[in-house]
Amino acid sequence: MSILLDHHPRVLVQGITGKEGGRAAVAMRVYLPAGKAGGTNVVCGVTPGKGGQMAGGVPVYNTVAEAIGAHPGIHVSAVYVPPQFAKSAILESIAAGIPLIHVVTERMPIRDVAECLAAARSRGVRILGPASVGVIAPGRGRIGMIGGDDPSRIYAPGPIGVISRSGGMTNELSWMLRRAGLGQSTSVAIGGDYLIGTSYADLLPMFETDPLTKGVVVFGEVGGLYEFEIADMIRARRFTKPIAVFIGGRFGKNLPAGTPIGHAGALIERGRGTVEEKEEALRAVGVHIAERYEELPSLIRTACNL
Amino acid sequence: MNLYEHEGKAILARAGIPVPRGVLVRSSEAVGAAHGSFPLVVKAQVLAGGRGKAGGVRGVRSREELVVAVQNLLGSTLLGESVRSVLVEEVLPVAKEYYISVIYDQTAGRPAVLFSTSGGMEIEASHPPRRFFLDSTVGEKVSELVSEDERGELRKIIELLGDAFVGEDARQIEINPLVRTSDGRFVAADAKVALDDDAAFRHPEWSALEERTVLGRGPTDRERAARAIDAGPLAHRGTASKYIEFGGDVGILFSGGGASLANMDALLAAGGRPANYSEYSGNPPREKVASLARVVLSKPGLRGLWICGGVANFTQIDETLAGIVDALREVRPRYPIVVRRAGPGEEEGRRIMEEAARELGLTLRYFGAETPMTETAGVLMDMIQSLPPNTRINPNLTNSGDSGPFGNSAVA
Repeated sequence: MSILLDHHPRVLVQGITGKEGGRAAVAMRVYLPAGKAGGTNVVCGVTPGKGGQMAGGVPVYNTVAEAIGAHPGIHVSAVYVPPQFAKSAILESIAAGIPLIHVVTERMPIRDVAECLAAARSRGVRILGPASVGVIAPGRGRIGMIGGDDPSRIYAPGPIGVISRSGGMTNELSWMLRRAGLGQSTSVAIGGDYLIGTSYADLLPMFETDPLTKGVVVFGEVGGLYEFEIADMIRARRFTKPIAVFIGGRFGKNLPAGTPIGHAGALIERGRGTVEEKEEALRAVGVHIAERYEELPSLIRTACNL
Repeated sequence: MNLYEHEGKAILARAGIPVPRGVLVRSSEAVGAAHGSFPLVVKAQVLAGGRGKAGGVRGVRSREELVVAVQNLLGSTLLGESVRSVLVEEVLPVAKEYYISVIYDQTAGRPAVLFSTSGGMEIEASHPPRRFFLDSTVGEKVSELVSEDERGELRKIIELLGDAFVGEDARQIEINPLVRTSDGRFVAADAKVALDDDAAFRHPEWSALEERTVLGRGPTDRERAARAIDAGPLAHRGTASKYIEFGGDVGILFSGGGASLANMDALLAAGGRPANYSEYSGNPPREKVASLARVVLSKPGLRGLWICGGVANFTQIDETLAGIVDALREVRPRYPIVVRRAGPGEEEGRRIMEEAARELGLTLRYFGAETPMTETAGVLMDMIQSLPPNTRINPNLTNSGDSGPFGNSAVA
């Protein structure tokens, strides 16, 4: 078991004829070939005006509707489209009823993200991202470039779930767990934007019911409110497994409001979302707080009695 | 991008929301342009909140008082920001003050209107505003909170505000207070507007806005140079424009937004003082990384350079490090350099960097995934501490000894 991709997903790549889209299509297919104990099955791609070509080893269509007509039963659309065009690409996949849309695109206008989230809510579609590098269930498949060209160097199956807004830190934490002899059940990069479709709190109930997951580690960030929702989930007993969290960006308190650091979502706002506030809210519900991110493996090992 | 009050009010006025009559003054000689009958109010244009309490808003009853207030405020430092302009406005006959803002609600993932029947300086503490989602019914819902004779007008204001928020690609519009005048008008007495930088591609008019302050001062040449990197022909390939200049002496080239936060924290914890914050990500091409590295290395008085990121997913380590080597080749720094990088192309990246170190005679230590990234902050600080004494004296830093972890950020 794993979360988000516990079937063998059939994936469509939007923007497949672009540099990163084509690279991701190939990377998803080679990590674990379809049918070989699971794997991610990239079946087609979409780029308007480039229908009829081949890219990343699969056929390209002009629209999502055309692609779905030729390849029914798509589970996931992975969106590798420049920010100016990302909204219409996402809305196309929502309209087609694809249940999970993974948005890699960075620097999408917030207004466009909000429109996509509203459309997704009304159709019961889940958006992962924007600005998400993807999700990986080690040994079972991945969506996106998460883990790079050879994820098996970083990822190994194991008992710990990983969540971070940052793709780099999802990798880094997963690698630290591996070094400590703990593997990952599922590692999810939820994206660094101010608004995201899937937050920490959306994933925790999934990890709660995932039998493979014994505990969860989180790399949180200064700014915004998403980390506070973790405390709400624990208080509501919708997540009861051990959890260890590091919150980055302590230095932000020395900077004026509005200073752009890290991700778009890590914007320093006046008196809201400081590292200290988040740590306090999480400690109050029994979350293990790491002073440095590299302490997370030992904290979660102790908490889980592993 | 946070807007100055006068810019925010221009947006409100364009949307049809009444604002006080006023004139922007950038020099005390230009004060003659401010007219109207006294009393007037003089408001320092700064981005920070809490301006009123800090003395940045002054009532004046005569031309003499006006001139004094303008002279005192212009060029002064208020809440850490230099005051470059003041807004001279009519004084409104206030009957009531309301608070209204439009923001994106993160938990709900949609825009929301916050409204309180008590506006002014103490609003957030005493009367927490009520929240309504921004939809076609919001004007009607909010106006139920005010008296019947105000409803029609308030509803119109809220609808105009909602349209402006969406149409102008704002992240936030706050009007505090929204004044109900004694003659029954609604007027936006203040405006705090933040625009969404990521929507700049569909707002060519934003390029006419004056430069924002960074850390309360004007942007430095290096910050301007960095900003230009992502505006070039390779704009869509990764980002390499983030650079904030501080007064410390450790040059920073971080990769990855999340990693950059953990690393800044680790550097401060290890006693280091950053010369800058910078971050590139999303697999930028060699040229862009080289340009950013040139900006970082061009700062005088560096005593160390830290090139650090997590285990990358799709950023090519070889290509991005080759860009940094391009800049190192031009500068040939004598100070210690610590690299911690891993990810696609890591073997080649390491070879490129270590070969350049030998060729250029750099003092460089290279770490891969086997060492946690924040641990290498201590390695760099130890290398800096063990420099021979003569290289530790730095004339460029004599003024920043006790000015906090970032040194003196108002860089010359």
